[in-house]
Amino acid sequence: MANKSGNAYGLTVLCPILPGLPKQAPDGMNDQTHADLLRLQLQRLGVNELSPMARVPNTYLSRLWVLDDVPFQGRPAVLEHLKSNYLVFSSNFHGELDDYLRGMWRTVEPETRAILKHCVGFDRVTDVATFIDYIKRCQVETTFYFNGSSDEPLAVQLKSLYLKQELAKFAAANQGKSAADLQAAFKAFVARVQPANLERPTWKPGAYHLDRVVLE
Amino acid sequence: MSNIAGKAYAMNAITPMRWYTAWLNRFFFWASGRFTSFLGGLLTLSLIHYARWVILKPNQFPRLSSDQPEERLKYHYMFFFSNFNGSWDQYVDSFSSAISGGLDKFWIFNIKYPKSIPMLPFHRYITANQIWTDHYYNAYPMASSNDVKSARRVRDALLAFIPDVDRATPQEFQDKYNRLLIGLQHDLSQMDANPVVSLAASAVERRLRREQGIPVRSS
Amino acid sequence: MISQLDLGDIQGNIVKAYGRFGFPVARHVFYNISSAEIGRQFVTDITPLVTTSYPWTDASTIPPVAMNIAFTYEGLRHLDVPEDTLHGFSDEFSMGMKARRDIVGDTGANHYSRWDPIWNLEERGEAQHVHMLVSINAKTEDFIEERYLQLQQILARAIAKFPEVPPPGVTQLTGHRGRGGALLDYQPSAALVDRWDKEHFGYSDGISGTFFRDCAEDPRLVIGGGKPTGKDPRTPEGWEPLEPGEFILGHADESGAYPEAPGPPLFSRNGTFLVYRKLHQNVASFNAYLEQEGARYPGGKEALAAKFAGRWRNGAPLTRFPTETEANQFVNEVTALQARVRGKTATPEERARLDELKLQFVAFDYDDDLDGTRCPFGSHTRRTNPRSGLMFAAKGGFGQRAFDTPGALSNRRRILRRGLPYGLVEDRPTDDGDHGVIMIIMNADLSRQFEFVQQQWINFGNDFRLANDKDPLLGNHGVTVEGRGAGRMVIEGDARTNTPPYFCSNMPTFVETRGGDYFFVPSMTCLRMIGLGIIDPT
Repeated sequence: MANKSGNAYGLTVLCPILPGLPKQAPDGMNDQTHADLLRLQLQRLGVNELSPMARVPNTYLSRLWVLDDVPFQGRPAVLEHLKSNYLVFSSNFHGELDDYLRGMWRTVEPETRAILKHCVGFDRVTDVATFIDYIKRCQVETTFYFNGSSDEPLAVQLKSLYLKQELAKFAAANQGKSAADLQAAFKAFVARVQPANLERPTWKPGAYHLDRVVLE
Repeated sequence: MSNIAGKAYAMNAITPMRWYTAWLNRFFFWASGRFTSFLGGLLTLSLIHYARWVILKPNQFPRLSSDQPEERLKYHYMFFFSNFNGSWDQYVDSFSSAISGGLDKFWIFNIKYPKSIPMLPFHRYITANQIWTDHYYNAYPMASSNDVKSARRVRDALLAFIPDVDRATPQEFQDKYNRLLIGLQHDLSQMDANPVVSLAASAVERRLRREQGIPVRSS
Repeated sequence: MISQLDLGDIQGNIVKAYGRFGFPVARHVFYNISSAEIGRQFVTDITPLVTTSYPWTDASTIPPVAMNIAFTYEGLRHLDVPEDTLHGFSDEFSMGMKARRDIVGDTGANHYSRWDPIWNLEERGEAQHVHMLVSINAKTEDFIEERYLQLQQILARAIAKFPEVPPPGVTQLTGHRGRGGALLDYQPSAALVDRWDKEHFGYSDGISGTFFRDCAEDPRLVIGGGKPTGKDPRTPEGWEPLEPGEFILGHADESGAYPEAPGPPLFSRNGTFLVYRKLHQNVASFNAYLEQEGARYPGGKEALAAKFAGRWRNGAPLTRFPTETEANQFVNEVTALQARVRGKTATPEERARLDELKLQFVAFDYDDDLDGTRCPFGSHTRRTNPRSGLMFAAKGGFGQRAFDTPGALSNRRRILRRGLPYGLVEDRPTDDGDHGVIMIIMNADLSRQFEFVQQQWINFGNDFRLANDKDPLLGNHGVTVEGRGAGRMVIEGDARTNTPPYFCSNMPTFVETRGGDYFFVPSMTCLRMIGLGIIDPT
C-alpha cells in the first residue's frame, strides 16, 4: 500500500479551511480570516519537546502548513486558483493509522480542536471515532513513499539513539582499563542503561539539548 | 515558522502537471519501487529520513461539505514532502549531481521543469514552488538519518552481546568487547545539535526557545 | 594555443602556487579606502605591478616578486563600484566573514573579539573597514621590502594628486600581532627556515594541489589534483582536470553552468573569491596532547599524528603507507634522490625514479581503504578532500558505487589552497607565541565550496557518518564545563588483528582563527575598469 513503507506510515492530510472571517475573533484581529489565524496558531506552537506532536505516540517527523493556492509557473502555463485554503498535515509515524489517530486524540485533543476548529466540517467531530473518520476523509493517497531511515517503533528508535550515545561515552571513558575493571564497569553500564527497557532510560521525543535529552 | 527542526530540513514543494502525463508519472513512481538504481543513489546519499510524493487530481482535493466549493483545476498537482539533513541550499548540489537521473524521472512531466543538471535552474524551480513549513516537529532533532540507522546497529549489537558478559572471564570479556567495538567503530561518534546552517533560522530558533523558557545553546 | 583561458587576464595567485616557484616569503598589506578618487588612482597606479597567470616558461622568466590585489565588498563599494553590480554578489561575500561566524565556526575561541586588532578597529563590530588586500610574494625578504616601499611611495603620490580631498583618502591599516605581541603594519609569512615544506605542528604541507583544465600547469599535476575518473588512481588515467568554473568566474563549472556572479559579465569574468584566514596554532597544546595520547596509543605518537592528518608528518599518505617504517623508507628514498638531483649527480634512471616516487604522495584514492583502517574517515585530509570516498556505503555496508561519477559529491567542494606559515616556534613551544598559517583559499562560490567544507566537513561529521565529530586538527572543539577541550576522534581499529578502535577525548582546539575576511580577486580587465571608474551594469 503506497502510504506505507514497512511499518512506517506516511500520512498526508488536506483539511479544507473555512472561508472568510470567523464569528469570534481574538482581540484586534477582527479582519483576519480563518486561514490567517490558523497559520498564526501553527507558528506559535511550542517547538521541539514542547511541540504537541512530541506527545503523539510514534511520531517520527511531522509538519503543518497552510496551503493558500497552487503556484503559477508563468505563461504559457495556465493561471488557476484553489477555491479553498487547506491545512496540510504530513506525518511520518510507526504503525497503523487508526492507532495513531487514537493516540493523537487521547494525548492532544485540546490542541487538535484549537487548530481544526478552523476547518470545514470539524463541528461534526465529537469523539475519537468521528475524529478518525474526519481525518480519513481529509486524507490523500501517497503515490510514492521513500523510507531512507527506519520503520521501527519510535520507542525503539529513541532507545537506540540513547544507547548509541551512552555506549560511545562508555567506550571513550573506559579505554585502557584492565580486563577485570572493564568487565565490572560494563556490567554497571548495562545495569544503568537497561538496553532491553524501552521505557527508560531513553531519549525524550523532540528534545534538542544534551542536558535535556535523557529521560532517566 | 521554520523548515528546520534540529538536523532535519522540511522541504514542501507543489508543482502542476498535465493531466495526460500524470498517469505516466505514477507509473515511474511505481517502477522506482521495483528498480533500485534510483533508490541506490538515494540510499547511499543517506541524507533523507522520509520523503513522499502525492499526485492529486482536481477532484481529489478533500471536500467535506456541499457549501465548500468544488475545486475546478486544469492541472494535476504533485506534492513533494521531504525530511533530509542539511539545508536545501547546501545540499541541492548533492541531490542534483548524485541522483539526477532519478530526480528527472520524477519531475519530468511537471510544467516547465528544467532538468536537474545544470543545478541552478533546478534549484530555482524547486525554490519557486517551495512552500514554507509553519510547524515542523522532529522526534530526534539531534540525530541525522545516518545517526538513526547507526543507532539501530548499536542496539542490535549490544543486545546480542550482553548475554555473553556475565559468563565470560575478564580476558574473554575483553576480547569479545574489543570485537564488539570493532564492529561498531563507525557508530560510536557522539551526537549533538546541528551546526548553524542558516543565520535566519538560528535567530528564529533562539528567539522561540527564549520565549518558551528552553535554555538557549551558547555559541 | 597555451590555454583556452586568457591567462594574462587572470591574476597570478589563482593559478600559481608561488611557493612552488621558489617564493618562500610573503607579505600581506591591508588598506582602508575613504576616498573613491584616491582609491581608484592607487589601484590604477599599482595595476601594472600586478602579476598575472601567464605562464613562466622557464626559470629565467620568473620575476623576483609577484604581487596581487583583492577587495572586500565594502572595498568595492568605497571605490564606487555601482550598486547594481554590488547587489549581484552573494550574501556571504557582502556580509563578510565576521558576520558568517556561526556558519564557519568562528565562535568561542575563534570569535573576532580575539582577532588581531587590525580586524577590530574603531569597535565597529562587524562593519568591514578592511577594504583592500595587496599580497606580495618574493624570493627573499629584501625583494619584498623593496616592493613594499614602492607601494608606499605609489600611495603617497596618489594621495598627493588630490590635495583637495580631505585626508587620509587611503590608509594602510595596522595591527597585525607579531612576535612578542608587537603590532605590525603588515602580515608577514614565510616558509619555515630549513624546513621549507613544513608547518608548525611538524607536518609537511602543500602536498596536494588542485588541477583544473587549461591552468597551464605541469600536466602531471592532474594526478591527485584533478577529479577521479574511477580508473586506477596511481596512473594518469585515474584523473582528469576539474572544470575551471569551480575556481574562476565566467567559465563552466562541474555542474555544467557558469557560476553565479555579479554583472556586467566583464566585471566578474576571470575573477574569483579569496578567503584570507590567519590561523593561529596552539603548538604547546598540540605537542602536549600528542605526547599524552601518543604514550597510550598503540603505535605511538607519530602514528597518532598521522591518524589526525591522514598523512604521516613526513607527508606520506596513510592509505598507501600504513606503517611508520614504510612511510620513512619511502620519504628517505625521496629525500636522498632529491639531494642527488640538486647536486646534479643523479642519473636519468634516478630522476625517473624520483618522479615516480613523488607521484605516490598524491596518486591514490580510498578504494582500498573503505573501512578506514589505514586512513581514518575523520582524518583531516580525508575530510577536506574525500577523493571518491563518498560514493560508497549502501545501507549499512561498503563496496557499492551508487553514483555515475566517483567524485559526484566532492567535485563541487574543491578549493585552491595558497598561503604560507607565519611566525616561529621558539625553543620552548607555547600556545601564545606568534605561529600559525596564513590560509588563503580561492573558489568561485564561497558558500558552496569554502563555507560548506568548513561547516559540514571540518566542524561536523555527518557526511562521514561520524555524527558531530570534528576535524581533529582544524575543528573548533569548544570546551567542557570544566574547561577541558571537548574534541573527540574515533580512530578505526583493525578486525584482522583484533585491534579495537581508539578513542581520543578532550582534544583542545589546536587551530584558532585570528583574523580574515572574504575578498574578490578581479581580473586584470576588471582591475583596470575599477581604476578608471567605468563599470556600468546598465
